[in-house]
Amino acid sequence: MTLANRQGTGAVVPVERNDQRFRAGQGTAAGLSIVFRKFRKALFGKPNSDRSDTEGQFNVQYPEERLSLPEAYRNMPILLFDDATGHELCTSCFQCERVCPPQVIHITQAKDPATGKPVPSAAEFIIEYDTCMSCGYCAEVCPFDAIKMDHDYELSTSNHPELDVNYNRLLRPVSYYETIAPTLWNDVRESAMKKLQNNIKRRPGAIGVDHGQKVGAKAAPAAVARPADPAGAGASAVVPAAKRAPVAAIGKTMSEEKLAKLQSIRADNQAKRGGAGAPVDSAHAVEAAVGVQPDTAQVAAPDAATPGSVAPGATGPVAAVGTSMSEEKRAKLEAIRAAKRAQGGE
Amino acid sequence: MVETFQQTFGAPLWLAVVLASGLKVTLILVGGSLGMMFLTWYERRAIAYMQDRRGPNRVGPQGSLQPIAEAIKTMTKEDTTPLEADRVVHFLAPVVMLAATVLTFAIIPWGNLFPSDLSVGVLFFVAIGGLHTLGMLMAGWGSNNKFALLGGMRGVAQMVSYEIPQVMAVIPIVLMTGTMSMQRIVESQSGFGGLGWNVFTPVGFFAFALFFVASLAEGERTPFDIPEADSEIVAGYMTEYTGMKFAVFYLANYMTNLAICFITASIFLGGGNGPGVNELGGFLGGFLSLIYFFIKALFLFFIMVLIRATVPRLRVDQLMGFAWKFLLPLVLVNILSSALWVAIIRWDQQAQIFTQWFGAPGTADAPNFVRLGVAVAVTIMINLGALVMVMGLNNRASQARMHTTDEELALGL
Repeated sequence: MTLANRQGTGAVVPVERNDQRFRAGQGTAAGLSIVFRKFRKALFGKPNSDRSDTEGQFNVQYPEERLSLPEAYRNMPILLFDDATGHELCTSCFQCERVCPPQVIHITQAKDPATGKPVPSAAEFIIEYDTCMSCGYCAEVCPFDAIKMDHDYELSTSNHPELDVNYNRLLRPVSYYETIAPTLWNDVRESAMKKLQNNIKRRPGAIGVDHGQKVGAKAAPAAVARPADPAGAGASAVVPAAKRAPVAAIGKTMSEEKLAKLQSIRADNQAKRGGAGAPVDSAHAVEAAVGVQPDTAQVAAPDAATPGSVAPGATGPVAAVGTSMSEEKRAKLEAIRAAKRAQGGE
Repeated sequence: MVETFQQTFGAPLWLAVVLASGLKVTLILVGGSLGMMFLTWYERRAIAYMQDRRGPNRVGPQGSLQPIAEAIKTMTKEDTTPLEADRVVHFLAPVVMLAATVLTFAIIPWGNLFPSDLSVGVLFFVAIGGLHTLGMLMAGWGSNNKFALLGGMRGVAQMVSYEIPQVMAVIPIVLMTGTMSMQRIVESQSGFGGLGWNVFTPVGFFAFALFFVASLAEGERTPFDIPEADSEIVAGYMTEYTGMKFAVFYLANYMTNLAICFITASIFLGGGNGPGVNELGGFLGGFLSLIYFFIKALFLFFIMVLIRATVPRLRVDQLMGFAWKFLLPLVLVNILSSALWVAIIRWDQQAQIFTQWFGAPGTADAPNFVRLGVAVAVTIMINLGALVMVMGLNNRASQARMHTTDEELALGL
């Protein structure tokens, strides 16, 4: 019973079996020649680690050589903080905790010590890396672009509890994320920074920078040790596992200068809160937000530099934003603020 | 070597013999094991490059110490025996296997160095192959495991089938050289400035191809690795072996392949003969011959690896069909044509009556190129004719199996 008859079509489909090639061993000979060509190309040909050819040596000798990861590569979630202010982008909105399929994200919301009211900032943030399945939902759902997927895949450890990563070790500066995913960050940078500014206004005192500061203090010695690495960025890809700090550290090294600035900001805040006795209202905060020191502010957008709104002595929580920003970024920020101010004024 | 011991150390004859034999045996055993170690590394690197990989390159320079690491690993592994196994047979199987393999190394000429010049060296090699089969069946039976038994039985069927073409493929060489001694066979190929290899004659080339293919089956190389077909019957007769016993099987396997390469190189590729060996002579010539010998053997092993990387495993019926329907007729025809070759080249030596009829050939020792040409033409004709015929017959049979004819279709068969 043939297939054609069984199907009742009666149609006979001749199948080209190419038997002629197998008759005198040509098939085997062709196969052997293909395999030998592969051998020759892999052994003597040029390396093919960029996958430009279909033959040749594909292997990447892992600990010595690494493939450059695509920007959208995701491994484990990390949290971002602003380089300039040390403010964390996370507002503890619990979206990630809610969406997390294996439920490994645990957030505690920060509270204003004075009033006991919740503040848009996380007091503690724990992700169980050992159970995380790297789905990236948390990063996708985050309205503040505070949680992002890291590229660090060398997380193996002999200390299992180490994989319950706390806020300190989750935090990375925005500049770090910018290095691993420049275009992705470029897409969201403006809205993220804008939202951050808004949130900072609602964070009294040093809430929201605590963790960053702790990390900065802890990572200070590391910052000294790191530049001694001779090959710089190239060598950082070849850092042996022993030298690698658990999960934290990369880029979370604050310079002394920055630390000092942070301290001064905090002192200012303390004094202000003590003096005013009440949290700053939003209009005031807008005023304070643009309180950039005129000597450091290279204002690019002309409409942003309305002299009346610039109060030289006024240093709000956001005051230092922009001091260590690039020209371009600062200009953009100024433009945003100006637009906002105009909106608020009308 | 015995004389050396007697002269240098003034030892009595019996002691000299014992010492010399012990030294030889040690060298063979160590050389065989080291060769096996090298071969595992060599095969893995070669096949890795064939598959666009790099293979083991971490332990030692270019991964050359990988076999040592693996030897340590297997030695420290637990050695288990199944509860229901026939313990004695189970234990003895790898021993028999290894012993059979090591014995073949006794007749291998290492370049110009001969451990022992057996007058029936070729026969000895083939006969020892039978012992190998015994070890395989012992392992299959002694393990009391269905996969092991299947593997053992497959192995025996395969070995028995392929021994016949293997033996018969050597007969032409024995006819041409008139000897079974490996040493004499190697020496007979030293003509033409060290390039008078048997493989350069049509008969010899045919015999080489047939012998090598049959030897692949004897050594359980991949197109014929049916006894240990890991995708079908776990690991065949080695299923119930762990640790060092398993390693001994592997040792035996690779040493067999090494021996096959050495024997093929000796019989067909001139052993240690090559340009410059006779001219140099003495120690240097011997060293050069050893190098030639190793190069030839490793080249053959490379072909083995190439075949392994290319050809998928045969079915059992294809395996049997290949031995009995393809190799055996060709081997028989090759014996016939080699007889003709010998008759044409050396009729004066074979039968005086021909000399009386046709006159004596010019000089018996120097090659007579006219007669050589006639011999080459005749043997090529016979061999190619046989090849075409056998292939056609096999092909027709397989076509009949593969295709449904129009009548069958019409009848709905």
